[in-house]
Amino acid sequence: MASPSTNFESILLSVNSLGWQVADCVILADISFQIPTGSFIGLLGPNGAGKSSLLRCLYRYVQPTSGNVYYNNRDIWQLAAKDYAKDVAVVLQHTPQQFQLKVTDVVALGLVPHKTWFGSNTREDAELVSYAIDKVGLSHKAQMQFESLSGGEKQRVMIARAIVQQPKLLIMDEPTSHLDVKYQIQIMELAKSLGITVLASFHDLNLASAICDRLLLLDNGHLVAEGRPSEVLTEQTLSDVFGVCAQINSHPQHQGPHITYLYGYINGGKSRD
Amino acid sequence: MIKPAVMMPVVLLLVLLSFAAALAIGAAPISFAEVFASLSGQESSLAQSIIWQLRMPRSLLAFVAGGGLAMAGLILQTVTRNPLADPYLFGISSGASFGVVIAMTLTGIGLGFYLSIAAFLGSLLAIFLLLLIAGFNRTQQVESMLLAGVALSFLFSAFTSLMLYWSDPQAVTAIMFWTLGSFARADWQSLWLPVFVVLLCLIFMLANQRRLTALLLGDESAATLGINVTKLRIGMLLLSSLLTASIVSLCGGIGFVGLMIPHIVRYFIGQGSRWSFILTALVGGVFMLWVDIFSRVALDNQELPIGIITAAIGSVFFLILLYFRRRQSTF
Repeated sequence: MASPSTNFESILLSVNSLGWQVADCVILADISFQIPTGSFIGLLGPNGAGKSSLLRCLYRYVQPTSGNVYYNNRDIWQLAAKDYAKDVAVVLQHTPQQFQLKVTDVVALGLVPHKTWFGSNTREDAELVSYAIDKVGLSHKAQMQFESLSGGEKQRVMIARAIVQQPKLLIMDEPTSHLDVKYQIQIMELAKSLGITVLASFHDLNLASAICDRLLLLDNGHLVAEGRPSEVLTEQTLSDVFGVCAQINSHPQHQGPHITYLYGYINGGKSRD
Repeated sequence: MIKPAVMMPVVLLLVLLSFAAALAIGAAPISFAEVFASLSGQESSLAQSIIWQLRMPRSLLAFVAGGGLAMAGLILQTVTRNPLADPYLFGISSGASFGVVIAMTLTGIGLGFYLSIAAFLGSLLAIFLLLLIAGFNRTQQVESMLLAGVALSFLFSAFTSLMLYWSDPQAVTAIMFWTLGSFARADWQSLWLPVFVVLLCLIFMLANQRRLTALLLGDESAATLGINVTKLRIGMLLLSSLLTASIVSLCGGIGFVGLMIPHIVRYFIGQGSRWSFILTALVGGVFMLWVDIFSRVALDNQELPIGIITAAIGSVFFLILLYFRRRQSTF
């Protein structure tokens, strides 16, 4: 497998000493990294490390208190919200339930940034929507109510909405939490198959290792490690950042790091054997 | 679920039939043949003046009021993602009542035109307070708006009751009659305002249909589509209060339509298309036409207040719908 992390042409998103604090509470501090075009970047970190906050700063939901975010060398806060949404799509962890929309209605919302006030759906729009639904494998459920779908199917619908948005960058905030293992893999492989730049936060470190070109590791609002999975997922960082004792092996299929967690925390770190 | 393309002609037919019925039915019955003759200008008799001077403006007002209140409810339910939202919940209607009570008890004004202005100012005051308190709290905008709306509603009701408690029985009766709603004050001169506002709001809603639908999936999700959620919500809230104020100021307090009609339309055709907005307005209008017909014929020589009928018919119909929905749902 060729390693795409070595030959990136250009930088799509660039974060320069970004910081965000609310009152006196520092949530993110001095974070700098770059996202090369075409890469799949995984964002890792324990609960409360600031993963969601960082992603919110990148999709313009929260304005950082210091530092800058550049998209294609332009400050994202200088861009119109609508223009940024034409290039950057977001899949969130969950969506509210209280509405009666069909799957096609939800997917068609990806057209919002591309449409004027009275713009109606053209034939191409309709084709794009059904292409996206087909791409996530839900053609047979296109006319069903969104509410009636399972958790994994709902996330696939949200990815289809992102496909319709035709973005250059896809940001996903823990899109697979609360999903079964099969859907966790399916959702991430689906995102990877789109062939666009992806930044996704992960809960499952082994899944991140299997999917991502590069990883970012957050701890307590600071970026503590960055690099290829083999550089970031070490026994040392797992112990320092996640507070777990683990062994790193090479995964039989993708040869990246594979984590085997060791147990026995309650009785003083002595293992059971 | 029925396709909007099927539903639309059915509802349009219903609109025409309901208008014909509203012009024909009343204290002085007029045959359908006479109605059509009057509309085409052939008849020059008592029937024609009844139709043109009484029933036509009245029916138009009823239709526009029903459509406008249903639209206001749909807007509020969409931007707050709350199925219980309607103009009453946000204190818009109680603000209007408060304005009327102030005008009647303090200044002794009994003229319809001034009461309309008082009602209009009252509802604007309510919405101004609501936005002042909760409108710019971005992180929990919906929650604070709902809670502030309920609190304001009670506050205005308390003031209204206090004013009523101090005023003489004659004023109390007049105010009571006003708060229960009526289309009897309809005339051609006052009709243009609600018609204009309702059409304007419908155009705004249709223009923002995608954005409003996107809001159903949550503020953050909508923001990632490039929507300025705070601005859209406040704009839509102002729009629905303008709708409510222009209608309540002419017709008095008419509850439940705004809450119920959007649910009925949603139940039949869903809410993902522009058609659902138009159909909500039309169905609201048809419903109100029949309520008005009923109010004129239910009692001899007397009109039943509109608010009583909407609440009574509306809640029973709504409960039946809920019952069937419960039986249909599979999960």
